[in-house]
Amino acid sequence: MTEEEEWIKAAREGDKAAFGHLVEAYQTPIYNLTYRMLHNQSEAEEAAQEAFIRAYKHLNSYDPGRPFSSWLFSIASHYCIDRLRRRRIDWLPLKEEIAEPVRLATTSPNPETVATDRDREAWIQELMNALSPTDRAALTLHYWYDCSYKEIAEVLNLTVSAVKSRLYRARRTLAEQMEGESYAL
Amino acid sequence: MRCEQARRMMSARLDGSLDPTEMSRLRDHMASCAACQVEWEKMEALDQLFKSAPMRDAPPYLRIRVTSRIERRDRARRAIIGGMALALGTATLTVLVLAPFALGLLDNLGFGPALVVGGMETVTQLLVLLDALSRALIVLLDQFARPLAILGIGSLLMALVLNGLWIVTIRRLRVVR
Repeated sequence: MTEEEEWIKAAREGDKAAFGHLVEAYQTPIYNLTYRMLHNQSEAEEAAQEAFIRAYKHLNSYDPGRPFSSWLFSIASHYCIDRLRRRRIDWLPLKEEIAEPVRLATTSPNPETVATDRDREAWIQELMNALSPTDRAALTLHYWYDCSYKEIAEVLNLTVSAVKSRLYRARRTLAEQMEGESYAL
Repeated sequence: MRCEQARRMMSARLDGSLDPTEMSRLRDHMASCAACQVEWEKMEALDQLFKSAPMRDAPPYLRIRVTSRIERRDRARRAIIGGMALALGTATLTVLVLAPFALGLLDNLGFGPALVVGGMETVTQLLVLLDALSRALIVLLDQFARPLAILGIGSLLMALVLNGLWIVTIRRLRVVR
């Protein structure tokens, strides 16, 4: 039995410290997922917390035959998708929601690099805002987690062909967004 | 090959799921289609952009916040269950302690048997009333099934229209803002 399996088993029996280890192990992947979906630090943090709380509450419904990461990603993705759908009828303009300072995982002391990273982050956020919540989730799982079509399909409850279509559609939308922009990197 | 198909293949190529035959067909198409060539450059640039974006670190206090929320939730749940058990226990104990005195008092006053008989009668009357009401409802539904269905569908349609108007209004307000 791996360390993770032991933590899961103990957490299912009510061991909160074991669940704490699971949170520690997955906090960055889950936070990154919620951030890439919501593009807002405080919302992303709240969503990450909520995803872990939901996972704790429903730990007994987790199927140990499935990767724990996929199960967690599924909870976090669906939470973010719901949140984005609710945000659609929000009265606030979207532009206000993305005006956030950037915090990157890689520490880069060079100011020039920081500026480039910020530009890239801002650009990615702007591009992804044009995508539907599910397309956004599919693209995030593909690029940041190297998930295969099958894994994305499992996380988002889609078919493999639907995932392919969504990735294609997302790329087409992003390419359209790039009209008139200089895209030489 | 049509451009639409070529663009789907470009997406698959970026995912590494294109076989050599398809790859060759795509290359042939792109060699003769300037628009698809431009599209491919964009898709490739996007691919590089997304691949170069790093994972974002979680805030350092995330674990503490999650575990303390779980603690608070468990404490609140324990408090609710404990409170309910305490309230139920107190109520039961009160009834058990007071019941003999109350019954004794009623009996001394000569109301005991009357109260029991009266209570039974009330329950019976309530059951009869419920029975009559449900029969009347069935008759009513039987008589007015069609108008009721029309009324129901009408209400549903009206609700849908109002909902649509509400969404349109919100969108317009957002555009105006």
